[in-house]
Amino acid sequence: MSKHRSGGVIAAALWATSAMVPALAADMTFERALNADKEPQNWLLHHKNFQGHRYSTLNEINAASVGKLHLTQVLALGGLESGGRYANGNLEATPIVDDGMMYVPNGWGEVYAIDLTSGRKADIKWKMDPGIDRAWAGDVACCGVNNRGVALWKDKVISISLDGRMFAINRATGEVVWERKIADPALGETITAAPLILRDLAITGSAGGEFGIRGWIDATDLNTGKQVWRTYTIPGKGEPGNETWKDGKDHWMHGGGSVWVTATYDSSADTFYQGIGNAGPDYDPEYRPGDNKWAASVLALSPADGKIKWGFQYTPNDPYDFDEISEHPIIDVAVNGSQRKLVTHAARNGFYYSLDAVNGSFVGGRQYVDRLTWSKGLDPKTGKPLEYDPTLDVQPYVVNSHPTRANPKGALKCPVTSGGKNWEPAAYNPDLNLMYVPSAEGCNMLEGKPQPDFVDQGGTAKPRDRFTAGSANYPADEPLYGSLSALDPVTGEIKSKVKLQWPNWSGVLATAGGLVFTGHMDGEITAYDSKTLKEAWSFNVGCGIMAPPITYAINGKQYLAVLAGPHWLRPKPAALKDQGACSMLNVFTL
Amino acid sequence: MKWGRGRFARGAGYILVASVVCSGVFSVGAQAQTPAAEDARTIEFGKEIFKTKARCQYCHKWDGTGDQGYGGNALSLRKTQLTPDQLAMTVKCGRPATEMPFHDKFAYTDRRCYGMTREQAGGSMPPEPNQYLQAGEINAVVAYVFAKVVGRGDPDYDECVDFWGKDTRQCEPLKK
Repeated sequence: MSKHRSGGVIAAALWATSAMVPALAADMTFERALNADKEPQNWLLHHKNFQGHRYSTLNEINAASVGKLHLTQVLALGGLESGGRYANGNLEATPIVDDGMMYVPNGWGEVYAIDLTSGRKADIKWKMDPGIDRAWAGDVACCGVNNRGVALWKDKVISISLDGRMFAINRATGEVVWERKIADPALGETITAAPLILRDLAITGSAGGEFGIRGWIDATDLNTGKQVWRTYTIPGKGEPGNETWKDGKDHWMHGGGSVWVTATYDSSADTFYQGIGNAGPDYDPEYRPGDNKWAASVLALSPADGKIKWGFQYTPNDPYDFDEISEHPIIDVAVNGSQRKLVTHAARNGFYYSLDAVNGSFVGGRQYVDRLTWSKGLDPKTGKPLEYDPTLDVQPYVVNSHPTRANPKGALKCPVTSGGKNWEPAAYNPDLNLMYVPSAEGCNMLEGKPQPDFVDQGGTAKPRDRFTAGSANYPADEPLYGSLSALDPVTGEIKSKVKLQWPNWSGVLATAGGLVFTGHMDGEITAYDSKTLKEAWSFNVGCGIMAPPITYAINGKQYLAVLAGPHWLRPKPAALKDQGACSMLNVFTL
Repeated sequence: MKWGRGRFARGAGYILVASVVCSGVFSVGAQAQTPAAEDARTIEFGKEIFKTKARCQYCHKWDGTGDQGYGGNALSLRKTQLTPDQLAMTVKCGRPATEMPFHDKFAYTDRRCYGMTREQAGGSMPPEPNQYLQAGEINAVVAYVFAKVVGRGDPDYDECVDFWGKDTRQCEPLKK
């Protein structure tokens, strides 16, 4: 992989020593992050713990008490301004909570510090406005104006903005200490993922897979605000994997492989697991013959230097836009009598996977969506789609499930382009050994158009142009809906499943109270029994929920919090059309 | 208000639009009845609908050159051969079997759109819009498209600044 290693020696030294530097009691340290589950009153990390479980041991809110859950704090967060192609910013963030203070951004990257300790009023202590040129950034966001969260480091809040900047913010005052321009919207690059902080490094990546980018993962030294390393997700000339781009025209230079969801991290192996987005252009695989590594993959990487340890590609030569950016929960489980560490993934392509964390070999997996038509299943040894033929440069998969240049209109295929599970996070209950997977259900069709080359390759496609080579179409007689499944985390066997009225864009929280929570497009926030998925409680906050719920405690009292606000990638369903946009924090308690 | 094809065609907005198409210079044909200032307001109103309320630019791009991706294969409005009346009908009713949405809230509740109800449209039913539009809004957005987009060549810097209302960086590449 191509990397800048400026300051690499210094970075290695920082890596070795930073965990030993003493910090103030309230500061966020690497030690606290490693032991986040020992602070159940706080929600310290994006996915609750580094393993990506989104599981809380708090149990005051449980199957017996959940009926008394009620709204106790509400707060308008703003960020509804228009920009670029979008009428408003969205709310997709997972809040961070430490000692009764919440840190959360809206879609335009405005960061709020909110004092929740009164239990009544959600009291804004400060707000940091990054001052985005909204038209500039909003015109190259494929799927809305999004920001999925912030992170804590020492006495700073670390945030990102859609226009490609990272900020270190004084946690007490909201003053920006430094900012670093990481991604360049001039190239179609944006940033939407919450940073992953490992020791003194902040790791994030570039979105923009629909705008002709070459994706990357990037580490910032938080002490200096400077880059430590950058690893491209699409290998360059001479690097392993570049041979899987067989066009002979260097199309890998705009090969996609975006990064827009926070990785998971295994401290015992000092490895983080990053989901990688689709190949570009989305719907013209003949433009990019070959497997197109590492698009539609997971990469295991070393955080100190960004070196790739292994990769597993879910959909080689992906013609469907099945990018696999979403989280990869890490679990320790018995498999055939042996204790193993697995990296798991409910993929946008409709299959669930478990992989060996050490080498990425396939352990188990199967279909979790109701309908999956692009492949007949997974090879039990390799985990590749059964139709995958490594001798072919362009993979047909199930014939006519995607457009070709000879036949540009694909037939109905399932799951729908956006998945399956998209970015909305799963949750894992280690006590029940169940993985909770939120999903959209349904089918659509793809229509292809041959992709012209980029201007730097002698063609007409310009930076910031859409680089999709076609479009996704949604027949009216195939309405989308959603589901929540409880899976065996090794095999993917469905233990229980509930049909949801709407595609899920919220994600899941699991708790030791025997409950799982998720939000819905119509504004419902619902608790389900963690074994049966039978509905245990529900409340409607009045506008759509497209963000993950979290839980925390203040003075021993448990709270449930969730943002409600727009994320309408496609037009609202007619039944929700008249519901206005909002931008609200909602907090519940018993 | 009903939206029958004939009634729509007889509306003041149609006169406004027709004047653009026939004359090539906005308001010339209709200025006896409609002051130029009012024409300009209508165009500006239509631009805001194109830009934000109906989000036409998400699929067609800010300059109307058309685009691809999650909004479908949106055609070039700069090169369209549609008449204002046909464009208004397309905005109102969408294009069956494509991703072009309808914008009349009551489209396909009766036969006002291509003589079809929702049931008859079946799987070809155009998608829901970002927001529904009233007849006056459709008139305005059609007026905007014919005044500022249709028949134009490649977009230029001034056009970009005019659309975004300020000198944003995305207009930089268009500077000569």
